[in-house]
Amino acid sequence: MLGTTALPSRREVIAEARARGQRVAAVLPYHYPRVLLRAHGFHPVEVWGPPRIPRDLGSRHFPAYTCDIVVRATSFLLQGGLDGVDAILVPHTCDALQGMGSVLGDFLRPDPAVLTLYLPRGQRPEDRAFLADELRRLGGALAGLSGVEPDAAAWESAFTAESSADAALASLYQRRSRLAVSDRDFYTVVRAREYLPAEEFVALAGSLPEGDSPAGVPLLLSGIVAEPLELFDHLAAAGARVAADDLACGSRRLYPQVAAGDPHERLADRLLGAPPDPTRGSPIAERAAHLRRRMEESGARGLVVYDVKFCEPELFDVPLLRAHLAGAGYPLLHVEVELGEDLGQQALTRLEAFVETLR
Amino acid sequence: MSRLDHLLRFRLAGRAGLALQRRRAERRIDRARPGAGPGLNPPLRSVARMRELMSLHYLEGRYVSGIRPVAWVTSGAPSEILKALGFFVVYPENHAALCGARRRAQRLCEAAEDAGYSRDICSYARTDIGSVLTGDTPVGRLPPPDLLLCCTNICQTVLYWYRVLADHFGCPLVLVDTPFQYRESPLPHEVAYVRRQLEEMVPIAERVARRSLDEKRFLEVVTLSKQASGLWLEVLERARHRPSPLTAFDAFIHLGPVVDLRGDPRTVAYYRQMLAELDGRIAAGKGAVREERYRVLWDNLPIWYRVGPLSKFLAERGVNIVASTYTHAWGEVAPLMDPRDPLTSMARVCLYAILNRSAGQKLEAMRRMVGEFSIDGVILHSDRSCKPYSLGQIDQRRTLAEELGVPALLLDADHNDPRVFAEEQANTRLEAFVEMMGR
Repeated sequence: MLGTTALPSRREVIAEARARGQRVAAVLPYHYPRVLLRAHGFHPVEVWGPPRIPRDLGSRHFPAYTCDIVVRATSFLLQGGLDGVDAILVPHTCDALQGMGSVLGDFLRPDPAVLTLYLPRGQRPEDRAFLADELRRLGGALAGLSGVEPDAAAWESAFTAESSADAALASLYQRRSRLAVSDRDFYTVVRAREYLPAEEFVALAGSLPEGDSPAGVPLLLSGIVAEPLELFDHLAAAGARVAADDLACGSRRLYPQVAAGDPHERLADRLLGAPPDPTRGSPIAERAAHLRRRMEESGARGLVVYDVKFCEPELFDVPLLRAHLAGAGYPLLHVEVELGEDLGQQALTRLEAFVETLR
Repeated sequence: MSRLDHLLRFRLAGRAGLALQRRRAERRIDRARPGAGPGLNPPLRSVARMRELMSLHYLEGRYVSGIRPVAWVTSGAPSEILKALGFFVVYPENHAALCGARRRAQRLCEAAEDAGYSRDICSYARTDIGSVLTGDTPVGRLPPPDLLLCCTNICQTVLYWYRVLADHFGCPLVLVDTPFQYRESPLPHEVAYVRRQLEEMVPIAERVARRSLDEKRFLEVVTLSKQASGLWLEVLERARHRPSPLTAFDAFIHLGPVVDLRGDPRTVAYYRQMLAELDGRIAAGKGAVREERYRVLWDNLPIWYRVGPLSKFLAERGVNIVASTYTHAWGEVAPLMDPRDPLTSMARVCLYAILNRSAGQKLEAMRRMVGEFSIDGVILHSDRSCKPYSLGQIDQRRTLAEELGVPALLLDADHNDPRVFAEEQANTRLEAFVEMMGR
């Protein structure tokens, strides 16, 4: 088992990045161009809440029906959790993060620069052209902060490093059934991609031992973020294992490698080439077909949609995903949680009962 | 549906019947006498014509399948291209609002929830999905779409919702994606992106309509849209007069044609007539509220299932909600529409939608309106179903109160789901708000 001390904390990673002379960008979920940040002298550290940060400070700016990620991230910022970062990047993932970008930029005006990135909702040629331009705009803003205008060599170096880390992440998923690690450890490593430098992530991902993987009823886990991590302990105790995922913090960010061309267009192609995803406007049938393929490949017997409360992009798809997958014989369980709480008894009971039906 | 049905039931009997209903309603309004003391004056006579216009539209919808191509579109979408191609255009949001106003929304929301849709998703979407699943609608029948047009300039929710509709109906979904405006003016690549999507939309719509876009007709529709939006803005601006000849509750109701029937000469004629009626009221010194003591600005969507009671409750306390950011949204774009360069100007209009602009820009709009309409207080409807409108309101309220010294109330509700609205609590808070304005 990975010890909790085996990995540096995000705060330590930030300090190390600054010691290397890099600037640090706190990045909200979840699609963004790591290469662009790196090429402009920034190290990205992602902020997914964090869970268990009290909502209080954030609740002074957002109504009660706002998702936990936005409210807790705002609390975290206001209590000084992002002190020392040079920029906060808010990708336009959904209406809630749109609101957060707006409130930060218009009212809270924190010391770090607030940067935004609009992610197009289609995969058409015009979306690609727009995204490339949008990335050029963001690059200009990053250069304005760091003073770094990457040359061809800097771009290539950034692409090489981040592509290696992306490949290491993809390899982790490919080797999942052969890795002798628990789900909790597996996702601890997957999620280290959120803050570790690419080179360190590659080394970490490569260090996971192969052998007998844990037994259990295989599940596919979908949703935004699998928090708290105790979820995996509970699933294991119920006799289940995560054979594959469709998590925003996981396999939805398995971007394709794009070998050559203008850097901004390459980045646009990478981002637009990610697996189907409700926040990117993928048709539901396409998404259902993708999930069905993932279930067939991984041997998963059921789909658990594990949602953060008030997450509209996820909530809209659930009934039709259930219908599409039922046609293929795959049952779906939908669980909603709040990030700050331990997994409630009701959710646990439902998970246990679901696993029981799949034995 | 046959052409004969369309001819007999809509064109002949329907039109004649609705015209008769309208004349009766006008006579009732003419006979109505204002009561004594605070409260509302009789409604605008124009309401009868508005009902006739909207009823005709929905009546045609019952018989239009197979006669004209049908498109379902979002309220901020550039529908002029479709109208020029002869599409019959349905606005599910407007239909949902109608269901809300007719107290039909709750059972439709429940139908959607029974099918697995969460109570935490937009109540317009639940109302509409519930109606699609059950066929239940106060308008008799909604024609199924041949094309869906979704513009993200009001929220991302519409895209999730229209993906559900596309899956259900199996028809093409055209997306017009509009980058959110954190800045005051759109950047060139943002305008170019929206314009290019409009260009790409044309051949798809032409294929569905089985005809080519006639440029002359398109420009005619854009011109009529601009005229309707401009007249709508003039209608709203009449509320600057004291006493105001209309309330924002009137505006919520009279908004229907500029949303649903833009590009139609009847809409232009209707708003001209309404404007003349308002000018008549102004000349006679007659306000919509009998004793207008406080002038209030409303932010966000209406609470459709409480429009009447809220209007009465406030009028009885001398409060006239004279303006709203929501109704202004369909008027303030008029100057941006340019028939000489329709696609680029439509792209700019799409980007300028109030819900596509930052919370700070919305605050600026409110600040401006506070001055222009001599506002004594602001009610910000914290609408559980509309996050783009509601996120940011806590800071907007604080700024209005602290920097402008304007009493501002955050009122928790939902635009279409009455289960979220606590009437007693809301009334208590509104009473306190009125008291605060009186200090």
